Amino acid sequence: MKLFLSLIFLSICGLSLGQKKATVSGYITDARSGEALGTARVFVKELKTGTVVNNYGFYSLTLPLGTYQFEFRCDGFLTVDKAIVLQANQTVNLELEMAVQDTKEVRVTGKKSENVNSAKLGQMELKMDQVKTLPAFMGEVDVVKTLQLLPGVSSVSEGGQGFYVRGGGPDQNLVLLDEGVVYNAAHLFGFFSVFNADAINSVNLIKGGMPANYGGRLSSVLEVNMNEGNLKKFKVKGGIGAISSRLTVEGPLKKDRGSFIVSARRTYIDLIMKAAIPDTSPFAGSGYFFYDLNAKLNYKLTDKDRIYLSAYYGKDIFSFKDNEGGFKVEMPWGNGIAALRWNHLFNSKLFLNTTLSYSDYKFQFISSQDEFRVALSSGIRDYTAKVDFSYFPNPQHRIKWGAAYIFHDFTPTSLSAQDDTITFNTGAAQHLYSHETALYALDEFDLNDKLRINAGLRYSTFTHVGPFDRYIKGDGISTPDSVVHYNPNDVIAFYHGLEPRLSFRYLLPDNSSIKAGYAYNYQYVHLVTLSAVSLPTDIWFPTTDQAKPERGFQSSIGYFKNFAQDRYEASVEIYYKGMKNLIEFKEGALPGDNVNDNTDNLLVYGDGWAYGAEFFLKKTEGAFTGWIGYTWAKTERRFPDINEGNIYPAKYDRRHDLTLVGTYKINDTWTFGASFIYATGNTLTLPASWYVQDQNLLFQYGPRNSTRMAPYHRLDLSATRYGKQYKTKTDPATGKDIQIKKAYRSNWSFSVYNVYNRLNPFFLYVDNDGDFMTGNFSLSVKQVSLFPIIPSVTWNFEF
Amino acid sequence: MEFRILKYSFYLLLIGLLLSCTKEVQIDIPGYKEQLVVDGRIETGQRAIVLLSTSNNVYSSTNYESYLNSFVDDALVLLSDGTQTDTLTKICTDDLPQGLEDVAAAIFGIPAEILVNLHLCAYVSMNMVGEVGKTYTLQISHQGKQYSASSKIQQSVPLDSVYWKPEGNFTDRGFSWAILSDPASTADAYLWEVKYLQDLQFSKTFNPYTNDKFFNGLTFEFGYENPMSFQDPNADEAYRGYYKLGDTIVVKSSKLGLKEYNYFEKKYNQMYSGSSPFAVPTNIPTNLQGGALGIWVAYSPWFDTIVCN
Repeated sequence: MKLFLSLIFLSICGLSLGQKKATVSGYITDARSGEALGTARVFVKELKTGTVVNNYGFYSLTLPLGTYQFEFRCDGFLTVDKAIVLQANQTVNLELEMAVQDTKEVRVTGKKSENVNSAKLGQMELKMDQVKTLPAFMGEVDVVKTLQLLPGVSSVSEGGQGFYVRGGGPDQNLVLLDEGVVYNAAHLFGFFSVFNADAINSVNLIKGGMPANYGGRLSSVLEVNMNEGNLKKFKVKGGIGAISSRLTVEGPLKKDRGSFIVSARRTYIDLIMKAAIPDTSPFAGSGYFFYDLNAKLNYKLTDKDRIYLSAYYGKDIFSFKDNEGGFKVEMPWGNGIAALRWNHLFNSKLFLNTTLSYSDYKFQFISSQDEFRVALSSGIRDYTAKVDFSYFPNPQHRIKWGAAYIFHDFTPTSLSAQDDTITFNTGAAQHLYSHETALYALDEFDLNDKLRINAGLRYSTFTHVGPFDRYIKGDGISTPDSVVHYNPNDVIAFYHGLEPRLSFRYLLPDNSSIKAGYAYNYQYVHLVTLSAVSLPTDIWFPTTDQAKPERGFQSSIGYFKNFAQDRYEASVEIYYKGMKNLIEFKEGALPGDNVNDNTDNLLVYGDGWAYGAEFFLKKTEGAFTGWIGYTWAKTERRFPDINEGNIYPAKYDRRHDLTLVGTYKINDTWTFGASFIYATGNTLTLPASWYVQDQNLLFQYGPRNSTRMAPYHRLDLSATRYGKQYKTKTDPATGKDIQIKKAYRSNWSFSVYNVYNRLNPFFLYVDNDGDFMTGNFSLSVKQVSLFPIIPSVTWNFEF
Repeated sequence: MEFRILKYSFYLLLIGLLLSCTKEVQIDIPGYKEQLVVDGRIETGQRAIVLLSTSNNVYSSTNYESYLNSFVDDALVLLSDGTQTDTLTKICTDDLPQGLEDVAAAIFGIPAEILVNLHLCAYVSMNMVGEVGKTYTLQISHQGKQYSASSKIQQSVPLDSVYWKPEGNFTDRGFSWAILSDPASTADAYLWEVKYLQDLQFSKTFNPYTNDKFFNGLTFEFGYENPMSFQDPNADEAYRGYYKLGDTIVVKSSKLGLKEYNYFEKKYNQMYSGSSPFAVPTNIPTNLQGGALGIWVAYSPWFDTIVCN
């Protein structure tokens, strides 16, 4: 380690001291809107070196004095070549024009060779333009559903919440929306994600080789960045679909200085149900809907200071009424997120981002019958502060360091019950408070022309503090229950650990490279579920004196190659992931069991591991674009208190997963899209035998997850018909006709979900019918499927 | 109780929401092994009764014959109260002592006129009846395997009062009600059963087992539906679940141990959640050692009578 650090130090110092240098830095933005292009690249031809901008569009390159030909690139934008005479530090801010129809004299290069050159391992970026042309379930474009078409990423089923990365659970994904943590990224039990595609600018998934600036989760980071709002002019866009509509308004607060964007979406399933259920029906008033609101402000205070305020609020509301029976259920759940960020440029080499964020997730279940009322709620609230520094000493080094602090307030379960004048003793609402901190430093550096290393170290701590009541259960007879009370700020448990991260890329001839990585992670928050599938009822629970932090490592290695002048990208990655202290409820635990008790008294702990190989081939340019992904994987668990201590497959263990995704632009009017998925069936636990006790039919289940459902496969198609998007205008400077985007544009998006009407298994159950006594008793295994073929149409507009 | 009904309602609602297309499938379900099933009970002042049967493969035949064939009649069953041991007597339906036909019919759930033509056996303690404060240990030998379980008859908890009152807009229909003062010093579990005065056997309500997790040390009122009305094929659908004005019913509130309660809690949870994806597949935790399924349970009942007026 000492030698390694010395090498880094010498390479930084050596390059700095050898020659006179100057720094060129600046922001790269979209010429139309003024918004930062967070995926742009800068390349210096003479030195065959370059850099990638950060999320805020900032870049910095320190080079020996001289004259250089710079190339500024961004996917979907015209590449700009610019000669820069570097005699002193200078700022070069650049606006890139979007690629248009007349492409005879310009090149659309995008992030060429990034697949091969970048040291990023297991990282995937979604292009929102392509996402919007892919088939959409019920017309609702969904980034999480698109992510699930990438190798190594899967959903449990159509109705499962969240997503699963390389054998990790849904809680092992750090989901960030403008750096605010999203604890429940799903609407409608997972059928839709919380991300409104109109409000989203970029989506980046890190499923392996997690850099040291991220932490707190074992499996992946999903970074979703919202649009910043147009700095130049007001714009409105929206869509009207079969079950939901959305509207986005954006514009300058002050031209080229500050802007805002507000985007809202609401489903109208409840209105459809209202029309379908007459007022005279006992079920009148039952319904479901969700809505969400994204808003963002940004303002350039000075050339060196910029602030961003992002907010998200979304809610699902499910209600059921049986007016005749006097029975009523209300079930609201949702997230609220706010993030205030301040970017400061100390100098052309040192960039600071400071974030203050608030994240809140709450689930409630309120039910009543006559005078009896029961209410259950759970949730988590985070207050986060962090600073991230980026330092660019020279083109060979990109150094980051920072610190983060999170105050967690968990409410695993709060239950109240009343019957007229009787208030049942359901215990006090349990709050668990904790402090999570982290320090990190990393350097991505080029050791030579071929070898690039990203080395980092993260140190994290977690402190569970009072007030807190620890319930110690007696046997109910001779040993009574007892409670140990902790006062505010009493330290109940403290954990800490080092998390080394290392990845490298080694360039090979013929536009190919080998990359490998290792990441060790701690995770201090856990999602525990009482169900066989993920639901909003799942409980977020912190590390405590009983529940230890989850720990895990992932090693991966891959071969990356580009073909045909970078029009095709290919990769093969293999990985192994080990996980300790995974958490499950005890077998037979029930929702009310943690009343007058601690949730962690109901938990059991075990280990898990996952390994697999991912194959990916992507066509990035041309009228036809798309990818083929195939994953072979295995993921298993071993809990001493589950399945008699025997190893069992995780419920999302899938041996084969194949996805084919493509879009084909026929002309300016029509674009077609298709996606096909084939996956090994999920596992589940079914009864292996039946028996009778006290004249009741009962079941004895087989080993955990020992039954595998039929394979899942589905084909979706889409067609998007665009109205005229461009108008022709003569450029007075050149006299040539150029294409300019029209102010008002619209398109019709047609989708067919599950084209060949495959009845994919959602779950299986053993059904019993008849009666022993009448001799017509029978048992059978039934498969429940959710969605048949579903066509949908959405009209989108923009002006 | 209503509280329990509401607990399950969430799962039922979701299942109803999502059951969009169902078809029968054939799929491999590994893990079947035949196990002995014990259904044994003893209560204050009563003899122990033990029924033995075996579990069946989920894909095995489910006709009437297979159900009857699953009963076991070749076991040796011993009962000990710590000081003396009784070998339980095997009493079979094709050789019933006079006057026990209706009792046997209620135990097996088979009409008496059919039962007498079948060979189904129960093991009964002829020399021992339940006493408060004693722990009863059951030992079973069957096909070379040994099984055992213990359960204690605890002190019963009296009901403060019992009564009937009309429900909602009805004037002549309503539920049975009771007021219970739950002891604060112990964790308690109860079984609620009921019968019409003239009936021989008690019936269990929709979810008859409860513990005092939510009302430990409280005096509170609770109501139960009429389970007999669901067994009467001639009962008016609108009145199912209610007692009618003029009924006389006997209620039986029995106290049981927490381990035994745990079995019944999980049993009813499994029965009402079925194999839904929203419930964790849970095997019912038996108190029997040796690999058997089922329960051996001791009860201490408290009886009371309600005249519905």
